[in-house]
Amino acid sequence: METRAYLDHTYAYLKRFMELSRSDFDMLVPFLELRTFDKKTIMVQQGEVDNYLNIVLKGLVRKYVRTQKGEVTIQLATEGHVVQSEISFHKRIPSDVILETLENTVVASIHYENMQQALQTLPFAEALGRSIVVHMFIKRDLSYMDQLKMTTRERFLRYLTNHPHMLQRVPQKILASYLNIKPETFSRLKHLAMKK
Amino acid sequence: MVALLRKYLSQFLVLSDEELEALMNEIEVRSYDKKVRLTDIGDVEENLHFIVKGLARKYFYKGKEEVITQIAKEGELICSSVSFFSGNPSGYIVETIEPTTVYTLQKERLEHLYRQFPKLEKLSRLIITELFLQKEYWELERIRYNTKERFLRFMSENPDLFQRVPQKYLASYLNIKPETFSRLKHLLRNKRGSEKSSTR
Repeated sequence: METRAYLDHTYAYLKRFMELSRSDFDMLVPFLELRTFDKKTIMVQQGEVDNYLNIVLKGLVRKYVRTQKGEVTIQLATEGHVVQSEISFHKRIPSDVILETLENTVVASIHYENMQQALQTLPFAEALGRSIVVHMFIKRDLSYMDQLKMTTRERFLRYLTNHPHMLQRVPQKILASYLNIKPETFSRLKHLAMKK
Repeated sequence: MVALLRKYLSQFLVLSDEELEALMNEIEVRSYDKKVRLTDIGDVEENLHFIVKGLARKYFYKGKEEVITQIAKEGELICSSVSFFSGNPSGYIVETIEPTTVYTLQKERLEHLYRQFPKLEKLSRLIITELFLQKEYWELERIRYNTKERFLRFMSENPDLFQRVPQKYLASYLNIKPETFSRLKHLLRNKRGSEKSSTR
């Protein structure tokens, strides 16, 4: 895909957050970067300060944390999703989480410094920034509530109903970790779901 | 009381006297008894509360069980935030634990303030970002630490809440079974005892 097409995608995704004219978006473009990563590339390493806020334009980014019990996947970001190491980015401290691509990936990114600059110079940037954070906040709150409210089986079925393609795109082990389901249970639930 | 709010806001940015006054003009001071519901499930949240005195909690029902996702004390914000931001009906209940005094700002008044004072719009973005990061931090804690570690970390960071909040609420907030919570409590007492003796 060409730069132009990627920018069109970026514009379409940003318009979900607020009403944004094409001319406003064009003013934002100089602050953005298109970044390309091969699959299985670490975008942010543990201990590194994350400098970017990214929207996935193509591909898949996995956010995870290392624990005593192994890697725990926190987010699987596909086309249109915002992904970053939030605490590291905003607080300017080393990241506890790791970002890694699972597929060849293209993201539209804004560097921390560019974001500050855009916020100071573009009149609509505050509202856009607020709206993106609100969006992330709501998504996180709802997924945490689901995590606490739903049974393993319900979480599994709902996720695969809403994201049927993910079973093809993501190794089962990682999906199980993301859904907080034991790998054995995941296999069992998958077979049950297939039978239907 | 205003000093507490000023202090809270100053971690984000410094408001001029004029801006703070404009904000205070839009704020109502409200006092509630303990165990009063400020927001119910199905309500659309119109208010943002800053606690000046007291304690409140936010929870939802899983079947008949209350699941607490926030306990807020003096100097902290509470509301059914997803509903407040999205305009959708609340999935949560917001309820006082102690007699509580809050500064309340209505959503429409907040939006009115943005138009007059651009700095308040920036302030609002910074506060939402902070709330989001707290959520992120809390989830990471839950993933990275086991029950015992989470219990000890929380208690050492919030010793005051251990005195003020009913244990079953704390257990729910920490996502620990009440029985386990009781068992872990002894750990705390032992720890305190050993600290005391070591200072002698």
